[in-house]
Amino acid sequence: MKFSSIKPIAGTLIREIFAALLLLVGVSVVVFAVLSFAPGNPFSSILAAPGAGAPAITGKIWQYLTWLGHLLRGDLGHSTRSGLPVFDEVIRTSLYTLYLTIGAMAISLCMAVPVAIFTARRGMASATGWAMTILTYVFSALPAFWFGYIVIYAAIHRFGFFPLAVGGSTADWNWFYFFLPVLVLGFCSCGLSEMVRYLREELVRVLSQDYIRTARAKGVSVWKHAFKEGFLLPVTEIVAAKVPFILGGAVVVEQVFNWPGMGRLAWQAAQDRDFPLIMGITLMAALFVRLGSLLKQVVHIVVNPRASHRSE
Amino acid sequence: MSIKMKVFRQHTLRVSDYSQVPIWRKAHPVDLACVCYGLAVVMMVIVSYASGMNGWFPFDPQAIQMDLLNALPNTEGHLLGTDFMGRDIFSRLILGIQAYFLPGLLAVGIALALGSICGLVSGYRGGRWDAAVTYAANLVDSFPRLVLILLMIAAFKPDIYIIMAVVGLTHAPTVTSMIKSKVIFLKQQNFIEAAVSLGLKNRIIIAKHILWYNCRALLIIQATLGMAEAILIETSLSYLGFGVQEPMPSWGNMVQSGANYFLQGHFWPSTAPALAILFTILGFHLLGDGLNNILERKQGR
Repeated sequence: MKFSSIKPIAGTLIREIFAALLLLVGVSVVVFAVLSFAPGNPFSSILAAPGAGAPAITGKIWQYLTWLGHLLRGDLGHSTRSGLPVFDEVIRTSLYTLYLTIGAMAISLCMAVPVAIFTARRGMASATGWAMTILTYVFSALPAFWFGYIVIYAAIHRFGFFPLAVGGSTADWNWFYFFLPVLVLGFCSCGLSEMVRYLREELVRVLSQDYIRTARAKGVSVWKHAFKEGFLLPVTEIVAAKVPFILGGAVVVEQVFNWPGMGRLAWQAAQDRDFPLIMGITLMAALFVRLGSLLKQVVHIVVNPRASHRSE
Repeated sequence: MSIKMKVFRQHTLRVSDYSQVPIWRKAHPVDLACVCYGLAVVMMVIVSYASGMNGWFPFDPQAIQMDLLNALPNTEGHLLGTDFMGRDIFSRLILGIQAYFLPGLLAVGIALALGSICGLVSGYRGGRWDAAVTYAANLVDSFPRLVLILLMIAAFKPDIYIIMAVVGLTHAPTVTSMIKSKVIFLKQQNFIEAAVSLGLKNRIIIAKHILWYNCRALLIIQATLGMAEAILIETSLSYLGFGVQEPMPSWGNMVQSGANYFLQGHFWPSTAPALAILFTILGFHLLGDGLNNILERKQGR
């Protein structure tokens, strides 16, 4: 591949990365501004001394820049409750949440994609199509906290498919034991009906286009021609769009399953008004969302290089 | 002349003017069923407020009955049983509707107002305005909703109206992008061009010809979907302990308080409100999608 052919792609990619960085800076500004305008601070409940008065706006800007400098060096301060460094805490818990998120995404895609393909090909008229569509609606309306209890009762308490508690040492962990929270999150928190609807509409739109008809007339594989436009792009689109929803749903599911992830830590931090911790978690979550979106853009550009030509 | 006109008009009405056929006659029966179910769910709000004002509850929602804890449905006249303090679940479910309705309305109002203003500005003006609005929308989209709400709770206080304002803010980008694409589509249409060449003021074109005549269906649909999201957030937060606090019933804290007795085999006190949440969110989703199929498909024809 010559450089001249990948040059527009590279240019667009660099621009996308730059846009993502700009958004992350914006996120940090918002997080900092929200907490610096908050009444009181975590220490005001410990030290009953009267506040020294809010510093002037230039002081705030200087404070922000200092904070950003520390942030870029990986120093997010220490949790006001536990005293542990926030950066390490967030990295440690975010791995658990990442596992949960990716698993939930995989499960919801495993459910949404077959239903979408089935209803796109057979139409909505068949009884199976209707049953599956209604089921996706029910799942997307199911409250995760209650479904979590049902699953715990059925799979752990009643039938004992899974152990109730896993031993403390990592040696006897089995990743299979962590299937239940992933299952609940994948079923409940992704807006399954919305996913199916979007995937189906895109697939139907692409399958009705001229080049698909041409492919069918020539006798070549329709699937091969429809794959990129009708399947790959919508799937990456929906995956990127659902990352924030799954991260939000993870807060509830981690609470139900006592999962040592970021969402549970955020809940704890919100209760304790632990400012450094909640800042770190919010930034990390925003980073996840932006990475998902960047992935979508990369797939978009690689699959459809014309888009990068057009925008230049 | 006038008689001729009249005959002509009747003829078109009966035979060929499809736009004169009422909209519910053109709709698919399944969509109509979805909308009817959704409207029934919306009606429950009126039932709740009416019975709240007139005291039409079968039992007092706050009356504690310590000799009848976690009762099954239909014991001693309790239609849906009692919770862990012996309070009547059915009455509390009815009263719990009020916990989500007004806050949800606030969220929907903020989302629609902010979303349509931003969408109109970026679609109608374009250029720098569009870039600014897109940046702001992407910025809001970068935060997972529940995490942003927890940030707000840590910063301010767990007040349901602050939370719902945040929910409205985070729903606004969806509305913005829809209104924006609609405005860009409408701007190229002949009737907007005609309105401009007739010398109509910009604000009249925007408010009347774009927003009122062509975006109201979209806004109604987004309102129902936004309400569904608000209910989900409200119940989740009540479950997490940040929403409506205990003596006042909300469906989320009813599930949460019942869940303590779940593994002892008392499923019912948490299942009843969970099913209420399920059927209500389902109703708002079906209402939105049904209205979408009925109102929006028509314009593509």
